[in-house]
Amino acid sequence: MRALVLTVNRLAWFVPTLLGLLAITFTISHLIPADPIAFIAGDNATAEQIAALKAKFGVDKPIPVQLWNYVLGVAQGDFGVSLYTQRPIVDDLVGRLPATLELAFVSIVASAILGIPLGVLAAVRRNSWLDHALRVFTVSGLAIAAFWLAILFQLLFAMRLGWTPLQGRVDGWGPDVITGFFLIDSAVAGDWGVFRDVVAHMILPAVTLGFPAMATVMRFTRAGVLDAINSNYVDYQLAMGVPHRVVIWRYVLRNALIGTVTQLGLILGNLIANAVVVEAVFDWPGLGLYAVNSILQSDYNAIMGFTLVIGAVFIIANLLVDVTHGLIDPRESH
Amino acid sequence: MATFRFLLRKLAADRTAALGALIVVLLVAVAIAAPVLSTHPEDVTEFHPPERLLGPSGDHYFGTDRMGSDVYSRILFGARITISIAVIAIGVSVLIGVPVGLVAGYYRNWASDALMRVSDIFLAVPQIVLAIAIAQTLGPSIENVILALSATYWPFWARLVYAETRSALNETYVEASIALGASPWRVMLLHVLPNISSSLIVRTTIGMGGTILTAAVLGFLGLGPPAPSPEWGRTIAESREFLPEAWWYATAPGLAIFLVVMGFNLLGDGLRDILDPRTRRSTDG
Amino acid sequence: MRLFDHSPRLVRLAAAAVLAAGAAVAAPAQAGGKFIFANSSAYDTLDPHAIFDVGRVASRINLYDGLMRWFDNPPHLEPWLAEKVDISDDGLTYTFTLRDAKFHDGSPVEASDVAYSIDRILEMKKGAYSLFEGTVAPGSTKAPDAKTVVFTLSKPSAIFLATVPEIHVVNEELVRANEADGDLGTAWLSKNDAGSGSFRLTRYDPAIGWQATRFEDHFFGWDMVEDPLDTIEFRTVVEINSRVLGLMNGDFHGTDGYLPQDQVKRLAASENVVVDEQESMRIFYSIIHNGRPPMNDVNFRKALSYSFDYDGFIDNILSGSVARDPVPLPNNMWGAPADVEGYTYDLEKAKEHLAMVKEEVREITLGALAGYGQTEQAAALLQNGLNKIGIESKIVSETWPVASGKMRDEEQMYDPLFLWKSTYYADPNNWLGEMYACEQIGARNNSWYCNEEVDALLSEARTSTDQALRKANYEKANRLLMEDAAGIFVYNTKWFGPFNKDVKGVRFSPIGNGQEMRWVSMD
Repeated sequence: MRALVLTVNRLAWFVPTLLGLLAITFTISHLIPADPIAFIAGDNATAEQIAALKAKFGVDKPIPVQLWNYVLGVAQGDFGVSLYTQRPIVDDLVGRLPATLELAFVSIVASAILGIPLGVLAAVRRNSWLDHALRVFTVSGLAIAAFWLAILFQLLFAMRLGWTPLQGRVDGWGPDVITGFFLIDSAVAGDWGVFRDVVAHMILPAVTLGFPAMATVMRFTRAGVLDAINSNYVDYQLAMGVPHRVVIWRYVLRNALIGTVTQLGLILGNLIANAVVVEAVFDWPGLGLYAVNSILQSDYNAIMGFTLVIGAVFIIANLLVDVTHGLIDPRESH
Repeated sequence: MATFRFLLRKLAADRTAALGALIVVLLVAVAIAAPVLSTHPEDVTEFHPPERLLGPSGDHYFGTDRMGSDVYSRILFGARITISIAVIAIGVSVLIGVPVGLVAGYYRNWASDALMRVSDIFLAVPQIVLAIAIAQTLGPSIENVILALSATYWPFWARLVYAETRSALNETYVEASIALGASPWRVMLLHVLPNISSSLIVRTTIGMGGTILTAAVLGFLGLGPPAPSPEWGRTIAESREFLPEAWWYATAPGLAIFLVVMGFNLLGDGLRDILDPRTRRSTDG
Repeated sequence: MRLFDHSPRLVRLAAAAVLAAGAAVAAPAQAGGKFIFANSSAYDTLDPHAIFDVGRVASRINLYDGLMRWFDNPPHLEPWLAEKVDISDDGLTYTFTLRDAKFHDGSPVEASDVAYSIDRILEMKKGAYSLFEGTVAPGSTKAPDAKTVVFTLSKPSAIFLATVPEIHVVNEELVRANEADGDLGTAWLSKNDAGSGSFRLTRYDPAIGWQATRFEDHFFGWDMVEDPLDTIEFRTVVEINSRVLGLMNGDFHGTDGYLPQDQVKRLAASENVVVDEQESMRIFYSIIHNGRPPMNDVNFRKALSYSFDYDGFIDNILSGSVARDPVPLPNNMWGAPADVEGYTYDLEKAKEHLAMVKEEVREITLGALAGYGQTEQAAALLQNGLNKIGIESKIVSETWPVASGKMRDEEQMYDPLFLWKSTYYADPNNWLGEMYACEQIGARNNSWYCNEEVDALLSEARTSTDQALRKANYEKANRLLMEDAAGIFVYNTKWFGPFNKDVKGVRFSPIGNGQEMRWVSMD
């Protein structure tokens, strides 16, 4: 019941939060000193040319009118036109979303697959050399600058050793788009050459993004397992003669997982933040790279669109986390 | 004073936290003593084109950069930039966030709701995304990086202080002093604030690491101080063009960032164990 | 009437001239193949009238044709879609006669398509528009019959013919059929092709690039090139290292020729790659805001010019990959005086001139372009020199859109700003006339420089058809500008075009950057 109330409450705040975010991004973008219009008009533009373009993009109108037009547009799924590419921003964002989601998904799954068992291991063998080694590893994961790690990986694995491609998502045009997830699309098409190529391109960015995520997963799994092990309930179960292993896997792990799921929001936030620069380093054609290119073009319409979409993705993800949490954690539902 | 000594003793007992504290102290020392410790202090503003991109040697510990300047010396001076950005940005965030949190936590009316809603909106997006948008808008400079970081980080403190204030108000002695007619300011400053100072210290220490990383990202994206600033993130961005040959150029500043952030994180972890038992990381089981 | 004012070569069929430099040596009998070019800038739009930059020239010159075209280096102008051109004695009427040519959809290229194309440029007011603004009035271009197109200029212009290659001819019928809400077909043409060029667009994705196949029915025919390419692909690869590695592995067959010298060395050492070196026409200089104190004092400008370490920049930082150019005109362009010494890095002289400055000396702002390391390095080096003579300065590094906005604003313009000026058409007016004519102030003259003597020379040269007079005027203007220290003139670029060793027949021209693929073949 409480989970339901929580969910409804969260949902009710979704729209106002987005509107607030929109107001913030709009305010920020209109402090802008750049003149993107002069840029689109080109190197040799004249004053009339620029004035004509300003009228075309509606930036000659008063600020409140522009804000109102923008809100109306967003409500209809129209984020305006990129000042640089002159295509609808929503097309660009939608076109690039699958690349980011695929990368984020692979990174999270990989970090969970590796992070949860390692976290349990560290907890079960706490204070062993393994625990200490893993702790250094987790602390490093959260202290390393993702863009630097990305560059080091490129330097070592792509430039020096030549084991992986340096950058990009696929060599050339990639598989025919069905879902936009190249791993799935190439597998569906049965094109295993492309599939291998996609995997090869994905390794370095996914490891770079997954490393801090894995560190977080490990950290919270370990803490969750330890808390559970030390709880009275476990003592009771052990006293009742339930085998140690069964207690760990049935009860302790479940509780530890709950702890990790609660942190998914945090992990996702971290992941998206890192994705901006990691995509830029690997030239991964997702939202992050789009944002960085927009920065270089001072394309503030595009940056606003990016911020809103990331905000929405993030809010929705947190909502899902809350709901999942309510479902798997018995304490929440009472 | 007694609490401070207690803190020190506790820190010394926790080996990793002590290591963190040591790194942080070293960083501050290096930043202050940069002109003495660096081998080529003039290289922050002076360039020697004929000596560009030399590998590490006895004369240039970390080699030279694209302008022929000593990378080691520039990294030491970069520490000054990093520290000032992080300290000022966090300082401003605390100065905004703490009063907002206190007031919103103390009063229960529409205004406090509104304040918290605004901070929620800021927290709805990963910090770096908003910081990029702001820094991009204002133009690349140290001041604007600080502004962008402060504008995006204050809600963390507002949220924390808000929650802590609400729970402190339920404490018997606070209730008692309100009942005895203490003014709101008196209650906030004398009763609530001291009560929440330990979580504040922990949060601030860990926040330093995050802020330094975010500042480095801004520098890397070209939104930080312009050339020829020795800012670490910018130095890494500059170096990419010269890979794989000039590997030292990219490696050294990244290591510096890593060490410093690691120092703050270890220290923060240790402080949390000592000051904030509720969220203990349970090392000792 | 004379056709080329600056060249003794008169009208002739393009074939002979074009062939002289381009012919491939005998190649194996196997056909064409696929050429992949790694381009540093993204092809955001393929509309030939929307863009005008050198970085994305490939889509324009490979998918489209113009009446005239630039070839080789130094560039010479040849008739292309046109068979011949007649110019009236008053220099106002240009009558082009078209060849038999077909668009990619099989329909004939007609005079009305040319008239539509220039009017589309004039109405869109983008890309190359400013070249024709004030010279060609909308609707003034007529097509008396299918093969004849007549341009009537509003005022005489010595550079009109040089700008004609930028009138890329689009298929009027096809574009009109794809118009939406009177957008002149811009949305459609941004990702489709309505040209008659040597290659026909087959695939386009703004995030990846574009692909095109050889157009068998191209008017110029294919018998001049043995084994011409079947498919060309221009892919966006932003990261330098990726372009370089890709070329070394053989994944790419070419990339742009303005790489940092350290990377050129890596490429030259690779057995897969051949680097073609050419003197280009792309100057690197610093605009100085001549209208603002203390830069309005010639002695202060001279102090700036003497404070820049030209040798350190060119020989060390750029490893000697460029040629010192003491004037605002590329030194391989006619009109550049041969005997000008130019400024040197001489702090003593800088101090002497600084002492003579009457205006109050203040901290100055040095502009650089974010993401263009060279401009930052140049600004840092100038700052280094200025520190030594006691001028305070700070560096501001901003994105190109920000900088190009500020450049047009007298208040916001940086004190000096380092950048390049590329070739849009090979005539001295492309540099001197645009950078320093008084009427261009605030538009393309971002120096707020207006010297009556220089201006008179430039405007006479802009309208005169007397080649000797034009040459003399430009040489004199160059000397005056150098003497005035109107800007800090640093170098003229060399082009180091890296190509796969199997690639033959690349024809470099500063306007097309060696990216016209119809001459190329691969072993």
